[in-house]
Formats: sequence, C-alpha cells, structure tokens
Amino acid sequence: MSQRQLTFHIFRYNPETPNQKPATQTFVLQEETGMTLFIALNKIREEQDSTLKFDFVCRAGICGSCGMLINGKPTLACRTLTKDLPTDITLMPLPVFKLLGDLSVDTGTWFRDMSLRTEAWVHTEKTFDPDAQEERMSNETALHIYEAERCIECGCCIGGCATANIKPNFIGAAGVNRVARFMLDPRDERDEQEYFDVVGSEDGIFGCIGLMACDDNCPVGIPLQGQLAYVRRKMALAGWKR
Amino acid sequence: MSQYDRFTSDVLIVGAGLAGERAAIEAATQGLNVIILSLVPPRRSHSSAAQGGMQAALGNSAMGKGDSPDIHFADTVKGSDWGCDQDVARLFAEMAPVAMRQMAYWGVPWSRVVPGKRIYDGVDIHEDPEKEGLIAARNFGGTAKWRTCYTADGTGHTVLYTMDSVVIKLGITVHDRTEVLSLIHDGERCSGVVARCLRTGNLRVYTAKSTVIATGGYGRLYGASTNAIINEGSGMFVALETGVVPLGNMEAVQFHPTGIVPTWILITEGARGDGGYLLDKDHHRFMPDYEPKKKELASRDVVSRRIMQHIRKGYGVESPYGAHVWLDIRHLGEKHINTNLREIANICRNFAGVDPVHDLIPVRPTQHYSMGGIRTNIDGMAYGLTGLFSLGEAACWDMHGFNRLGGNSLAETVVAGMLIGDKIAKYTKEASLNVSSALIEEHVRFQEDRIQSLIECRNGKENVYQLRREMETILSENVGIFRSEEPLQKAVAQLHELHQRSCQVGLRSGGKGADPELASALRITGMIKLAYCIAAGALARKESRGSHFREDYPKRDDENWLKRTLAYWPVGADRPELDYEPVKITELPPGDRGYGEASTGAASANR
Amino acid sequence: MQLQRALTPTRKADFLAELTQTVSGLLLVGFLWTHMIFVAAIILGVEAFNKLAHFMEQFKLLDLAVIFIILTVAAHAGAVLRRIPSRWQEQKIVWKHAKTIKHRDTWSWLFQAVTGSAMLLLIIIHVVVVVYAGIDAKLSADRVHSWMLWFYAVLLLLAEYHASVGLYRTFVKWGFVKRHSLKKVLTVVTVCTVGLGLVSLGVFYSLGGSL
Ligand SMILES: Cc1cc2nc3c(=O)[nH]c(=O)nc-3n(C[C@H](O)[C@H](O)[C@H](O)COP(=O)(O)OP(=O)(O)OC[C@H]3O[C@@H](n4cnc5c(N)ncnc54)[C@H](O)[C@@H]3O)c2cc1C
Ligand code: HEM
Ligand code: HEM
Ligand code: SF4
Ligand code: F3S
Ligand code: FES
Repeated sequence: MSQRQLTFHIFRYNPETPNQKPATQTFVLQEETGMTLFIALNKIREEQDSTLKFDFVCRAGICGSCGMLINGKPTLACRTLTKDLPTDITLMPLPVFKLLGDLSVDTGTWFRDMSLRTEAWVHTEKTFDPDAQEERMSNETALHIYEAERCIECGCCIGGCATANIKPNFIGAAGVNRVARFMLDPRDERDEQEYFDVVGSEDGIFGCIGLMACDDNCPVGIPLQGQLAYVRRKMALAGWKR
Repeated sequence: MSQYDRFTSDVLIVGAGLAGERAAIEAATQGLNVIILSLVPPRRSHSSAAQGGMQAALGNSAMGKGDSPDIHFADTVKGSDWGCDQDVARLFAEMAPVAMRQMAYWGVPWSRVVPGKRIYDGVDIHEDPEKEGLIAARNFGGTAKWRTCYTADGTGHTVLYTMDSVVIKLGITVHDRTEVLSLIHDGERCSGVVARCLRTGNLRVYTAKSTVIATGGYGRLYGASTNAIINEGSGMFVALETGVVPLGNMEAVQFHPTGIVPTWILITEGARGDGGYLLDKDHHRFMPDYEPKKKELASRDVVSRRIMQHIRKGYGVESPYGAHVWLDIRHLGEKHINTNLREIANICRNFAGVDPVHDLIPVRPTQHYSMGGIRTNIDGMAYGLTGLFSLGEAACWDMHGFNRLGGNSLAETVVAGMLIGDKIAKYTKEASLNVSSALIEEHVRFQEDRIQSLIECRNGKENVYQLRREMETILSENVGIFRSEEPLQKAVAQLHELHQRSCQVGLRSGGKGADPELASALRITGMIKLAYCIAAGALARKESRGSHFREDYPKRDDENWLKRTLAYWPVGADRPELDYEPVKITELPPGDRGYGEASTGAASANR
Repeated sequence: MQLQRALTPTRKADFLAELTQTVSGLLLVGFLWTHMIFVAAIILGVEAFNKLAHFMEQFKLLDLAVIFIILTVAAHAGAVLRRIPSRWQEQKIVWKHAKTIKHRDTWSWLFQAVTGSAMLLLIIIHVVVVVYAGIDAKLSADRVHSWMLWFYAVLLLLAEYHASVGLYRTFVKWGFVKRHSLKKVLTVVTVCTVGLGLVSLGVFYSLGGSL
C-alpha cells in the first residue's frame, strides 16, 4: 500500500489564554496502515505538540467521547480511518457544546442536563421486592427499547443540527429519542400529558424543523427520523386533547 | 496557604462506572450525602464497553434449567483456580439474581425468554412457555449452565445507562473530568482525596467520612489492551502510594487471544469458532503444528500462548505496531461473514480498514482484565486504612482469584455495589469527620510541588510518552502470557530503573491549565509502580495458576502457593514489598478444574 | 429524593403554532397545484381559459380564493416567522453552520426560508395585479407578454421549489414515508408541475399581443 502524507488542519483554542484568538494549526503526518484518527491524533500529541486537547475513552465507537467535525461531518473520530479521507483533513470541535479546548467539548454536562430536563428515568409507583420474580416483558418490547437506548450520547446529532445551534434550550434528536425510549417502556407509568409537559414544546419535539442532519449523522445508526416522528405524532395527539 | 476549592460529603466515591454508581445509589438512598468523582462523564466509563453479559443463576432459559447459586459458586471457584475467597464467591452467587432483577426494575431492557424451538450448535432448544418474558440467558465459557443475562449486544451500555439514570433521579452530585491524585490520610485513617480538575487544571480537596475507590482496571499499562484508554489503574496506585494499603494478586492478569491490531479492540471467538484460521507471516497455518487435535479451537489461554510462542520464534508479521499474526476467515465466504459474523466484520472494516471477505485480519493476544487490585475484606474495607473502601475491577474483593469467568465481572460490580454500598452506609453513619487542615495542607502542598517541578523540569527532562512506551514494552514482552524466571528478572530490573527515571520527568508543553501532558506525567510514576508490583509478584510466584502461567513451573502448586500475594509500597521505597495471606476455603477443596488441560488456566471465558 | 420538575410547564401554543404552519403549508400547496392546473387551461385554448375564468367569477369563487389566500398566507407566514432566524447573530450561525457541515437537507431548509420570504412579496404583487386588472385570456396574455414574464418564471420556480421541499419536510417530520424514495417522487412531481407552468407561460406569451 502506498503511504500518503497527511496534512491535518486542526482548530486550536485554549480557554486558559482567551486573548489568543481561535486559530487553525497545520500538522503533517505520515499515514500508516490501519490508521484511525485516534492513532493519528495521539501521534501528533506525542510527537509534535503535547498541548493538543481531544477526548477519547473507549476508542472503539462505544462510549461516544470522540465526536468532532471531520471535514465538516459530525462523527466519531475513533471510528474514522484516515484511508477513507483525502490527504487534507480538517478537524473542528462539535459546535453547540461548551468548548474545553481545541477538539475537546463538554458533552457530559449537556447530556446530564438533558436527562434531567426530560426526567429520563423510569417513573413508577411500584417498589422493588427482592424476593419476587421480575415482571415479564416481551422480548420484542425489550428490543424496541434497546433500539432507542443504543444512543451513546456522542452529540453528533446535536452538533450537526442548525436548530440546536441557535436555540440553546432545544433538546435535539438525542433528547427526543431519549423520551421515546421511556414512552416505549411499559415500566414507565407516565401518561401522555406528563410526557407532553416534558417534550410538547418548542424546546422539545415542536422545535425540530426536520433538517435530518441528525438522522444522516448518527454514528450508531439510531433511526432518528422514525423516533422523532413517533414522538411528534404522540405529542400532537396529546396536545390536541389538552 | 495554597489555593484550592474544598468539597465535603458523607461519602466520596471515586469512579462512576457500574461499581461506583451502584454503591453511590445505596448510600444516597440511606440518606447520606454523596459525591461521585470521575475522569469522564459517568456514561463514558468503561463499564459501557462490555457487550457480552453478566452472570446470575436465574435459571429461566432452557439451557439454564436447574441452575442455582450453588452451581454458580462452584463455577466461580473452579474458574479462579481456587485462588478466590470462597465466602465472597458464595455471597456473590447468592445475591446476583436479586441484583439482576433490581436492574430490571430500574429499567434495563434485558433480553427476554421467547418460547418455542430453535436450533443452536446442532442442539434443539425448547424454551418453556411458562418462562416467557422472564430474563433470558446466553452461553458463556467456563459455566455449567447458561447463566449470562444480556441485552442484545449492549449489556454494559444499557446497565450503565440505567444505573446513571437512577443517580440522576436521586440528584447525586457528580463531578466529572476530575482526577484523583492522592488520598488524604494520616497512616491510619483516610479522610478524602486531593484531585485535579481536568477542565481547568486547578487542585481540589474532597473530604468525606468514607472514601470509596471504584476506578476500574489498569489494562493500559500493557499498551495493547482491550480496555479503554482511561483504564490506567490510577485508583490502585493512589491507594498503593499510601504505603499502608496493599494490592492483592497483581500478577493475575487476563489475556484475550485476538485483539485487532493496532487498536486492540476485541475480536470475539466467533471467528475461530466458525472455522477461522490463524496464519503466520508466511501465511502458514501454525496452530495444527502445536495443537494437532484442537487447532485454533484450543482454549483461549492455550491459543494465546501458542500465538506468542510462534511470534517469539520469529514468525510474526512485523508492523509499526509490533509483531502480529493473521486471522483468516476469507474461506468462510462473503455470505457467512456478512451475516453470522457481522459484528466482527464491522469492527474489521471500521477500525482496521480491512474487509475480512478479501483481507487477512491482523490480531495479537491482548491484555483484557485485571483480577488484582486494592485488597479489601468481605465488606469492601481496604486493608490498612479505616474509612477507605474499594470495589469493582479496582478491588481485589476477591471472587476471581487467578482467573475471572466471563460475565462475572459486570455482575460483581453491581452485586458488590449493592452489598458494599450498604456496608459503607452503615460505617459512615457511625463515623465522624475530623481532619486537620494541616494534614490537608500538607497533601495539597505535596501535589502542588510535584506539578511545579514537572513544569519547571526541576528533576530532569525525561519524556513521559517515551517512558510510557518503555513500560508497555517491558510488560508486554516479559510479563505477558508466558512467564519465566529470566524475562521476569529482566522486567523487574528494567522497571526498577524506569521507576527512578519517572521521577525525572519534565514537561515540554508548559503545563498550563488542563494540559494533557501534565495529566500523563502525574500518572506515570504510579503506573510504573503498578507494573512493578505485577512483575515482582509474577517473579515470586513459582507455580502456574489460572492466568498466571510460568513456563518453568507449569503446574499448580497448592502446597506452597495456595495463597494470595499482597504487594505494599512503603513510602519512600524504591521497590514493592511482597507479603502473602491464605485464601479462604469454606466449601470446595482444591481439585481439578475439569477443563481438560490441568492447571493451564484453560477455558477462561474472557469477554 | 425526587427532583422537582426542571422544565416549566409547556404551553399548548407551541403545538398550535406548529399545527398552523403545517396545515397552512399543505393548504397552500393544494392551492398552488390546483391553480397551476386552472391556469394550464390556456393550453387547451382561449375558450377554455375564459370559460373557467368566467365560471369562477360567476360563483364568486375568485373572491373566495382571494380571501382564502390572504388568510392562509398570513397564517403560514405568521407561524413560520418564528422559525426564521431573526437576529443577525443567528443568521450568521446558521449560514456558517450549513457551510461547515455540507448537509443537503440543511441547505434545502435555508433555501425554503429564502424562497418563502421572497414569495411573500411576489405573491402580494401578483394577487393585487390579477384582482385589480382582472382575469381574461387577453389580459393575461398581454401581461405575460412583457417583463412580467420574468416575474412569473421566478415566482413559478420559487413556489414549486418551496412547495416541494415543504412537502418533503412535512412528510419526513410526521414520519409517514421513507426519506430517500420520497425525495425522488417529489422531484418528479416538481419537474412535471414546473414543466406545466412553463408551457402555460409559453402559450400566454405566444398569444400575447395577438389577441
Ligand atoms: C472489551 C471488554 C469487554 C468486556 N465484557 C465483559 C462482559 O461481557 N461481561 C463482564 O462481566 N465483564 C466484561 N468486561 C469487564 C468489565 O467491563 C469490567 O470489569 C467492569 O466494567 C469494571 O467496572 P468498574 O465499575 O469497576 O470500573 P469502570 O467501569 O472502568 O469505571 C471506572 C471509573 O473510575 C473513574 N476513574 C478512574 N480513575 C480515576 C481517578 N483517578 N479519579 C477519578 N475517577 C477515576 C473513571 O472515570 C470511571 O468512571 C469487559 C471488559 C472489556 C475491556
Ligand atoms: C408567503 C410566504 C411564505 C413564507 C415566508 C414561507 C416560509 C416558510 C418557511 C420558513 C418554512 C419552514 C418552516 C419550518 O420547517 O419550520 C415553510 C414551510 C412550508 N411552506 Fe412556506 N412559506 C411561504 C409560502 C408558502 C407557500 C405559497 C406554500 C405553498 C406552495 C408554502 C408551503 C409550505 C409547506 C408545505 C411547508 C412545510 C410545513 C412544515 O414543515 O410544517 N409556503 N414555509
Ligand atoms: C387568489 C389568488 C390568485 C389568483 C386569482 C391567481 C391568478 C392567476 C392568474 C390568472 C394567472 C395567469 C397569469 C396572469 O393572469 O397574470 C396566474 C399565474 C400564476 N400564479 Fe397566480 N393567482 C393567485 C395566487 C397565486 C399564489 C398564492 C401563487 C404562489 C404560490 C401564484 C402563483 C402563480 C404563478 C407561478 C403563475 C404563473 C403561471 C404559470 O406559470 O403557469 N398565484 N395566477
Ligand atoms: S442519537 Fe446518535 S448522534 Fe445523537 S447522541 Fe445519540 S448516538 Fe450520538
Ligand atoms: S437535525 Fe435538528 S431540526 Fe430536527 S430533524 Fe434533526 S433535530
Ligand atoms: S472514543 Fe469512545 S466512541 Fe470514540
């Protein structure tokens, strides 16, 4: 395999030195077989500039830490092979989230806040009985819930959504999908109207204008179009009845 | 006076993986004020990466019929090669089903029993209609029954997300992007930690009546590891560095035969199970030369050892990422690969850029799990300091002994969280917090001084990344799957030198704010200490037990070695001190593990 | 230790605005396409067109249409205005965002907003013109046979594009269809209606001055 020379254009900004304006820095790196952006960025940090900030945790496409704009596309860096990219690679942090420095953004705080606002936990009046058998559930229902639960909170759907970019309170596709997960769950005893209080607004499902960047960019392939529509229909019904 | 923020709580939990969060929930529901610290947002913790499942003897699936905690207990003890504490294993096996049901109550979408007939591996399975909708189980190696509860291919993910939803619901404070640097203690009692904020780089002090370490494993010491890159064992070395808290069985390290090069993501056994071959650099299928009968399907430890043996002979494929062998599944055909082995095919395509339909897959045995850790008693209390607890992969509770069964570690986190969380709550309610500000000041000053000397390169200009690579190489080459006197001695000597050099690290970056190089530099000495404990423990243990395989002592030796290693690092010392304690045998006397190949640590299911 | 509600209770207004936007949009598309067919009567001949025009006038359908258009356009514009980034800062973010992520459906929304805003003006002019000057094959043909040709060509393209993207968006948002096949169908429909409109314009143009 002929190895190319890669040129990285990386967004640099350090909140510690706020008078230094955001800039793009260029790094040159020799490509290697099987190189992912995880490997490339670590190489740059270890060999060229040890102040470069970025986030990886699992480096296996599971934890959702490494979302960034790769040549403009919001996606997971650890799952991106350099061989699938042109020789010029532009890396920018995901917008919307608070910038912590260079490519590192604070998705954790955003998602925890979203979970709080959507009350993303099972609401039930029942208490747990350690001696009783578990409540039954059909495997099909379990798989349906799992389909929505697969979200890894990478933020690609949020960073790619123009609406989320201008409306700080919009919960985005990930938020709506999270609500869908609990709507599908028979253990959650919330009724339609309670869900309407959570997402039946401009900050929730009615803020979505159908840009579908979320659906096109979700790296784990959650059918976000379907999830958004499901919640929209349910909430329209609930809104109508109000 | 130093500048720092100070936080106080009843219970301080370091680590927001499954173990830490479960314990936090227990303490918080008992009315205590809890703070959780984590390097990353809780849901990014490594627990989310476990795909396989967690063991609990629910006995709902047809192939798990008749299962009971007794059988689970026996499997666990055998798996551990009798290195575990049997009272702990018993407690665990009894409580695991309750823990799984509670997770179901909280919202985990467990896969459920679907009644009817299906064929698995040529066997007809009839699921009982009576059990429809109860939590199902799948097959994992090393177990007499199908016992592993799962949610499709995302068990760890769903369990962690559910756990965290409860943490959020309870309003438990979580400080993510916070790294613990040291424990505040006076040699007898632990009163909190000194931590560094990874957003700003500022130091913080957390004081609490009880401090709990649930920081997960140390896989990254080996470089080539299936673990997340944050699994650097920092919880273990901050405990070790107190000088009074020992680490148990650090030489017990589990390997998986097929991690993909160069990202070391796990390739499951499915590939070999379905007929994949292992090839060397000449594209020669070498497994039949070593294991004429079982070939690639010999047990995991055996395959791992054979691969390494072959690579050592010079038949490995050279690459910028070290020597490896090939896994070949091309002959299985496109259709089979894209359906039955889809998960594996996706990993190959996404992370190695190879298409297993046409290309060979580069693989090598890879570090996978750490059985060793902070030694605690059955209540999770660390040896050596009161007010200090530990659980999860960071701890040596010790139910895994020298080999962990697949599916037992996730289950351990939740079960231990429930039981030890309760003990923590009970302890904390009785305890009081009185820590002198002089003590705090002393600990903060120490860290400030370290940081300053790193920034100013006061002690030297060693490159932290260079040291790290050397440590990884020493461990992988000499303290890997095969162990014997000479390489281990070499490793100990080299690590000894490396430990000295690690005190001379200097930064190139200036270390301003949340500088990533500074974070690495603050960890390196502790990591090398852990590596040292592993190597020293392995050198001392002259037998083979579980995953610890000595070529020069290939048999298990119950007469001399039916005991647990305790590694201490006295303050100011330049090497660890080893001590031993007996393992607790309450029910099952040592015997044959029944895996065919006695004392080779075979059939460990390492998912 | 249950947390208190973190969200303020939502207003039904948000839902009603959304509903208004969608329903008015759909009505406008329905109107546009019907209107295109009516205007296309000119292809069948002057007779046909005039008959239709007189029929409309006779039964006051024209007045109804005008009232309908005023109401629906007002409702649509009113509902939709809340979506169009009003502040300069927001405008900047949105355009920059679209340029960065290079995403087609994001661009199409921006064009939707632009075409919509442009149409607001054009529609007012158009409706005023036809209502005050009257509708009749000759009048219409003369109108088209002038600089107004360009006015109509532009209005046609804007309206059809906006309608097509609007329909796509509505269906996608409510989730009744597969995205990519929907796009294909709508493209075909749009090409057909634009074609029809162009032919009608052509006929008017050629008739212009000759009647
Ligand atoms: C690829 C893979 C697959 C696996 N599959 C299975 C399986 O199928 N079944 C099974 O039973 N087991 C499996 N395991 C093992 C299992 O996942 C782990 O043992 C278990 O998740 C450990 O959980 P934990 O809570 O102890 O630690 P972790 O989940 O690793 O959490 C550690 C926490 O500590 C925090 N932390 C660490 N250091 C610090 C510090 N200095 N300061 C502050 N916070 C800190 C981290 O941020 C994190 O929140 C697998 C492991 C791997 C690598
Ligand atoms: C009068 C000036 C108009 C303006 C300013 C305007 C503007 C807009 C804007 C900005 C949107 C996007 C709203 C969103 O997705 O949230 C939209 C949607 C739409 N428009 Fe218009 N438009 C106008 C006229 C028309 C006309 C004449 C038609 C019919 C041909 C039309 C049909 C639609 C449809 C069907 C939608 C989709 C509705 C939805 O997504 O809910 N619009 N319009
Ligand atoms: C009640 C209101 C309306 C009336 C009575 C009306 C009537 C007409 C008539 C008579 C013509 C032929 C040309 C002419 O006579 O000048 C025409 C053309 C046209 N109108 Fe309208 N119209 C109305 C509203 C609209 C609206 C709301 C739109 C846009 C969404 C629109 C878009 C067009 C277009 C694009 C043409 C060009 C014809 C073509 O290409 O086929 N009209 N209209
Ligand atoms: S929905 Fe998809 S894109 Fe959005 S956060 Fe979840 S995984 Fe990421
Ligand atoms: S990109 Fe944004 S506007 Fe809706 S369809 Fe997706 S959330
Ligand atoms: S590092 Fe975990 S998803 Fe990329």
